[in-house]
Amino acid sequence: MLFSYNWLQSFFDKKLLAPQKLAELLTLHSFEVEELKKNHNDWVFDLDITPNRAADCFSHLGIARECSVLTNTKIREEEIKVKENKSFDIKDYISVGVKNSKDCYRYTGRIIKGIKIKSSPRYIKERLFSCGLEPINNIVDAANYIMLELGQPLHAFDLDKIEGSKILIRRAKNGEKINTLDDKNYRLNNDVLVISDIKKVLAIAGIKGGKSVAINDGTKDIFIESANFNPTLIRKTSKKLNLKTDASFRFEHGMDSNLTEKAIDRLAELIQEVAGGDIVKGKIDIYPNKILSKSIKLDLRQTEKLLGVKISKNEIVRILKSLGLGVNKKLEIKIPTWRPDLNQNEDLIEEIGRIYGYENLKADFPKITLMPGSKNEEIIWEYKIKDTLRAVGFSEVYNYSFINKKIGDYSNSPLVELENPFSEEFYYLRPNLIINLLGNIKHNIKYFKKDEAIRIFEFGTVFKKTKNGIKEKKMLTGLITGNGQDFYALKGVVDALLESLGISDKFYDNFQISSENSQQIFWNIHKSAEIKANNMEIGFIGQLSSDILLKLENKKSVIAFEIDFNKLIKICNGEKEYQAASKFPSAIRDISILVPMRVKVADILNQINSVKENLVQDVDLFDIYEGDKKDREKKSLAFHIIFQAKNRTLNGDEIEFIFQKIIKALEENADWEVRKQS
Amino acid sequence: MDIKDIKNRAEKDIKSAQNINDLDKVFQKYLGKKGQLTQVLHLLKDLPEEEKKKTGKIANQFKKEFLIKTENQKKNFSDTDSYNPKSEWIDVTLPGKKISTGHLNPITQVKREVEDIFERLGFSVVEGPEVESEKYNFDALNIPKNHPARDMWDTFWIKYQEKEKLLLRTHTSPVQIRYMEKHNPPLRIVAPGRVFRYEATDASHEINFYHIEGLMIDKNISIANFKAIIERFFQMFFKKSVKIRLRPSYFPFTEPSFEVDIGCLVCGGKGCSVCSQRGWLEMAGAGMVHPKVFKAVKLNPKNWQGFAFGLGLDRLTMMKYKIDDVRLLYGGDLKFLQQF
Repeated sequence: MLFSYNWLQSFFDKKLLAPQKLAELLTLHSFEVEELKKNHNDWVFDLDITPNRAADCFSHLGIARECSVLTNTKIREEEIKVKENKSFDIKDYISVGVKNSKDCYRYTGRIIKGIKIKSSPRYIKERLFSCGLEPINNIVDAANYIMLELGQPLHAFDLDKIEGSKILIRRAKNGEKINTLDDKNYRLNNDVLVISDIKKVLAIAGIKGGKSVAINDGTKDIFIESANFNPTLIRKTSKKLNLKTDASFRFEHGMDSNLTEKAIDRLAELIQEVAGGDIVKGKIDIYPNKILSKSIKLDLRQTEKLLGVKISKNEIVRILKSLGLGVNKKLEIKIPTWRPDLNQNEDLIEEIGRIYGYENLKADFPKITLMPGSKNEEIIWEYKIKDTLRAVGFSEVYNYSFINKKIGDYSNSPLVELENPFSEEFYYLRPNLIINLLGNIKHNIKYFKKDEAIRIFEFGTVFKKTKNGIKEKKMLTGLITGNGQDFYALKGVVDALLESLGISDKFYDNFQISSENSQQIFWNIHKSAEIKANNMEIGFIGQLSSDILLKLENKKSVIAFEIDFNKLIKICNGEKEYQAASKFPSAIRDISILVPMRVKVADILNQINSVKENLVQDVDLFDIYEGDKKDREKKSLAFHIIFQAKNRTLNGDEIEFIFQKIIKALEENADWEVRKQS
Repeated sequence: MDIKDIKNRAEKDIKSAQNINDLDKVFQKYLGKKGQLTQVLHLLKDLPEEEKKKTGKIANQFKKEFLIKTENQKKNFSDTDSYNPKSEWIDVTLPGKKISTGHLNPITQVKREVEDIFERLGFSVVEGPEVESEKYNFDALNIPKNHPARDMWDTFWIKYQEKEKLLLRTHTSPVQIRYMEKHNPPLRIVAPGRVFRYEATDASHEINFYHIEGLMIDKNISIANFKAIIERFFQMFFKKSVKIRLRPSYFPFTEPSFEVDIGCLVCGGKGCSVCSQRGWLEMAGAGMVHPKVFKAVKLNPKNWQGFAFGLGLDRLTMMKYKIDDVRLLYGGDLKFLQQF
């Protein structure tokens, strides 16, 4: 909000500090000065007024009060002198009714007759300019001027255009219309509070005036309004109509009802000064529930405890008094109604603290019980995973939590929708990490050499809509593409990853097609597998479906893995137990076996392991031969079988005995043929 | 020639040898074909028996020592491997065999470091959901419905028919509410995580970014305590002395409230383009937990007090690595990521 230095100066007899110095004091003790700029012979402060101080500091008076406290300079108190013309009585011109005092807390009005519309004097125009307002005419400018001076929004109506000499503050009827000052039409309903006469809506209360009663060059007599409305009501209406004005902005923050009277008198005084005319005797003032000032007992002990420093009682009293608060011997602090933000001792502590200066509080480490922070297991595993993937060549990307609308609609998943999506590009919450990771591949491929390997991963939250609410879970997803980046390469990565997490019980199973599995469209199910650990499916690995690649304009084959972190975390295991390696030599026998093409390595290994011999220390696949391309019915697999005992050197007969058992076991299967032994 | 004399000179020569070539020359001088010691040994046979015995003993002792000393000196030149310069030459400037390791997003690295610092300061790291209810994101934090204070957080609302409205959390402050509901003070936690704001994006604004929220609750935690903790944090993070200052501010969930500025790390407070000539950089919002927040989690504000603060991790990341556009962090560009 903009404030004029010259205007602030006008509240003081003494010269204020230089603008830069003042700006620094305001920033450190009151409100941040976002900008200080020169404007002709004036300086303009752009202050970030916090919403709790709207009632007093959306005005030059409020900021002048702050300056007064910070510079220890007295504000000049000027009496408002309203010279009423006793030969007119307001009762003869207008009557006002407020339908519901919960909508309109106070309604104050005056009438001025015989004014002359012209342009405002120079000082008013300059100050309005400084604060970013365009001067219009002396009446409208005066109302704006007093709003900027005191914080009270004001409005002037052409009295002659108010029909029936009656004003009613009421809810609009459904369908009622108004054409506003800026020539826009609004259709109103019962949620909107309006100012009306007997026939029409004169203004949207607290937000904008209507054109029908606007001040123009021919205006002679005016009715001026100074009111306070229900802030919530004003805010709702302003949002609904998408109409935000200087007035609505102030009202929605909550104004001081006790300000309306002072403001209307000040406005009457100023209008007479700039436009002449007679101020009609008396004023309208409908104020059924008077707001009284309240008292808070200052708790010195808590003040010291919360600030962490002892400030003398004298200094505290001085600070509170300088802020315009009443202080008595019992330290009961009387809060003026223009400080509705002060409701409890903590609020007073803030006032004391900021004026005393936070820079004067000496940093002091807490004296507390030693209590070590506990490690967060989930985060430890998360970083372990990231470190492992990084070590095997994966780079970590962060993508947006949103996905494109088109892809979302295509993916056929139970997506989480937003009431206010950011754009078509960021439309749904992401149901997986694959979609945006594919976007990364597409982006990066442009800058990489042809077929250069790309390995990326992301760890993040994904969202799903279910019958029981929105479900979110953490996912770990990695993608590879380019030279040498095939299924087996990625499987090796997943193996290494699970190994590093202490998960040894794992296997890869054929992709199961299930009706509820919305994942299906992402995977080429013939070239994908389920990752299982501890007999639980924890994720998927394989080639991404050509459908999804096509949809995302990706020409290259991409292999991916996706692991549900919430499942993974349950089986991660940091425990390790040392087992002594055998000191005795091992013996190796090789075996080669010819099997039909579709026989899995796992089946052969299972068969070998079915010979329950603990002297077989390891079985190692070292060669696969799939024959020439024409005759692809059989393939030959070769294994090292490693024999070793913990306590002795094995002799040839022992080894041969077990080896023969293995061969026999393998040959139980009629299609399998053990070809070679050595 | 006197053997002792030869010995003294030989020892000096060994010591003064600068490299393997020098040493080789020394060796030749004494033990080469025409070396001085070789000649002495050679002449031994012509000596009378008794002298032969005596001198021989001394000469052989000397030879032994000479060999040990030259060998030791050789080690000093550390090139103990013999090699064939023609066939075994190594071009040390040739690139090594490439091992491709990956890179972690800079936010991950900063988040980890920040968590680590707070853990060392006695805080535990806790997390919470990204989809939140209005209650946890706003109401319990004393941000009432239809209050202009809500405008401080531009919110993504979720389309979902439920009694309570859901949203994407605008800060990780809901985590402190969830934590305080379940744990009794004293409490010291930090809550890092992704947060969301519905606002136009530019070099310093994103629709999703990372926050870390801190909370310390005990019997007597004061603003002075907060100053000490936050100052120490910044010093540990930036690994240098950092000036801080608190400015009054407003957050519905703290009273008093303040902004935390640090002295500009680039210009040291004189004013530069990084700090927009202010000399200070705004780093965090903070304050003393509001009594209404304590009441919302059923703690008695008469018994407990403490501070809460919120830090932007993206901002810390950008400062640490001099990144000038926040959007780079979410762009997935490997040319960018590979620098970390």
